Amino acid sequence: MRDVSMMTYGEAIREALDDALAKFPEMLLIGEGVPDPKTIFGTTQGLQEKYGPQRVLDMPLAENGMTGICIGAALAGMRPVLVHQRIDFALLSVDQLVNNAAKWHYMFDGQQQVPLVIRVIIGRGWGQGPQHSQSLQAMFAQVPGLKVVMPTTAGDAYHFMLAAIADNNPVLFIEHRWLHHIQGEVDKQQGLSTLSGAALLRQGTDITVAAFSHMSIEALKAATVLASYGIDAEVLDMRCVSTLDIESVAASLAKTGGKLVIADCAPEMASMGHQLLSKLVLTHGHRLQQVPRLIAYPNHPVPTSHFAANHYYPGAEQIASAVLAMLDKPELIESVNRDLQSDLPKDQPDRSFVGPF
Amino acid sequence: MTVMSPASANLKHLYYQMLRIRRAEEAIARRYAEQQMRCPTHLCIGEEAIAVGVCAHLTVQDKAFSNHRGHGHYLAKGGDLPRLLAELYGFAEGCCGGRGGSMHLTDLDAGFIASTPIVGGTVPLAAGYAWAEQMKKSDAAQGYASVAGGRMPEATNVVVIFFGDGCFEEGVMHETLNFAVLKQLPLLFICENNQYSVMTPLAERQPKRDIHKIATAHGLTAVSGDGNRVDEVFQLAQTAVTNARNGLGPQFLELHTHRWPEHCGPNEDDDLGYRSPGELAEWKLRCPLLQTRQMLLGLQLSNDAELAQMESQLAEEIEQAFASALEGTHPTIDSMRQHLYA
Repeated sequence: MRDVSMMTYGEAIREALDDALAKFPEMLLIGEGVPDPKTIFGTTQGLQEKYGPQRVLDMPLAENGMTGICIGAALAGMRPVLVHQRIDFALLSVDQLVNNAAKWHYMFDGQQQVPLVIRVIIGRGWGQGPQHSQSLQAMFAQVPGLKVVMPTTAGDAYHFMLAAIADNNPVLFIEHRWLHHIQGEVDKQQGLSTLSGAALLRQGTDITVAAFSHMSIEALKAATVLASYGIDAEVLDMRCVSTLDIESVAASLAKTGGKLVIADCAPEMASMGHQLLSKLVLTHGHRLQQVPRLIAYPNHPVPTSHFAANHYYPGAEQIASAVLAMLDKPELIESVNRDLQSDLPKDQPDRSFVGPF
Repeated sequence: MTVMSPASANLKHLYYQMLRIRRAEEAIARRYAEQQMRCPTHLCIGEEAIAVGVCAHLTVQDKAFSNHRGHGHYLAKGGDLPRLLAELYGFAEGCCGGRGGSMHLTDLDAGFIASTPIVGGTVPLAAGYAWAEQMKKSDAAQGYASVAGGRMPEATNVVVIFFGDGCFEEGVMHETLNFAVLKQLPLLFICENNQYSVMTPLAERQPKRDIHKIATAHGLTAVSGDGNRVDEVFQLAQTAVTNARNGLGPQFLELHTHRWPEHCGPNEDDDLGYRSPGELAEWKLRCPLLQTRQMLLGLQLSNDAELAQMESQLAEEIEQAFASALEGTHPTIDSMRQHLYA
């Protein structure tokens, strides 16, 4: 029997952590603020009460040391989930993540394993600024031995979290803060995710949009408006960033006439788009019938001022404009963008979402 | 410090273990010139007493972590000698299948979890391991853990981390000390203060102070001692291991010693002049083996014939270990791709 419920992405993460804590007695949930009154934006709410302070706990402000400590605990058979409220803080732990966690199984010839999940939150808005809203997925995706995932839907958030915890390798689990409030279906009966493959979010025949994390939501918005103009865009969510599903992109291109727009929530130079394109060209280059377009952030840090930051983030409008340019329909750009326009400030994901966050 | 001698058989055993490490390291140094052990190799000649004096108190269930200069720790913990040598040669039969070389050793059967060369890199891992051991024991005590089958374990397993003075310049050291005290982990910090990081003396890297007092300030029970006196190391480690096992929290030993060879490689490098004139010669007079040998003979706990017999026994073991290691096979190209993921 299917047990499908509607819940937000944030609730799906909490639900997955809850179910995993019940399933794996060796699982630990640790991070700065995990049991505090705000419980990592609500995603760890009630878990310490339910599973006790030995398994669900706060930690000293020592990102690198605590990452090493979690690796050591993992070597001894535990399954730690370490949470960073902002990915920027995970940079302090790159030594332990890259030198130890990612290589341990390999360099000790498969004799030891590191079942470790690092939860990191990326985001934008409300003045998070240069050191609270970076998008470092491409950097981490370049480390052999580290699995990097960026689920976009509530269903994937639930199943990827469960699979990441069950996985005997280090998994970097990247959540975009603006996904947390978005509702979706979670079918708990669905089998264990393999943490691989792209997700087809929308079928289409005119053009392929391959997007990452929150940009997949923007791509869906663009596709919905474009559909009312008779343009049928296919949207692929590139949710597994360290094992990019190039085959699905190539298959989609075969259907859409080799037209591709890529959208990532990262500066252009740090975008997964380059890795995706490079792999695509090397393996299925003939599929590209037009020069593809890449929608990404400018190559500088985001300024804190919301006046300036409003111009920093591309979204559905830029994706739709790129689609129309590639389909040689520039005359529709103004009208489509008018339909996509929102009076919502660009530093706020929706009206119910008020700062600080 | 006045040191009570461990029982005669014990001191002889400690001497034998130190001699085994010394002769193995010397044999590696001799053969290194053959250009077949093609990996960075950091020998521990001159520092054997610490590994031996500490590991004498550990069971196989106790775990050890180490660093780039880890041969002595590996051997003292019971690590397999032929597999260490095979690892240096890059053979598939090495303890890491040839993936690690001298700086990455492991022997899980002996409870030697790992050595790695990023300074401080294994320090938090040891704490994490000790944390897990503590949780397993606590679970078992509460009777609902699957890990220990629900029975009350005898005593807590302890974890030992060997590191050098340079670690005190690394943030992760202090982060780990903080957590170890916070959680009262069954963990032994063994600081081998050999006063040099590569060729840079301690005085150029740290202000004048006692390293172990920093550990004291973190809230650990910390003492210092002569790392070249195996009897002293043995005594200090006995107290530390007992305390850690009995739930008295993390223990810290700062043990003073000196590295004889160059930082990395088989040779001595005193001609480079980075040490004070006569410094190395003075430390050689304080050789841990020489001092123990004098004690064994002076206290009539052993005699020349017995010591000579130890030498020949070890020469044979090491010769056989090399012969066995050299029968190793090359890792295959296909095998290189294995084990990226578990």
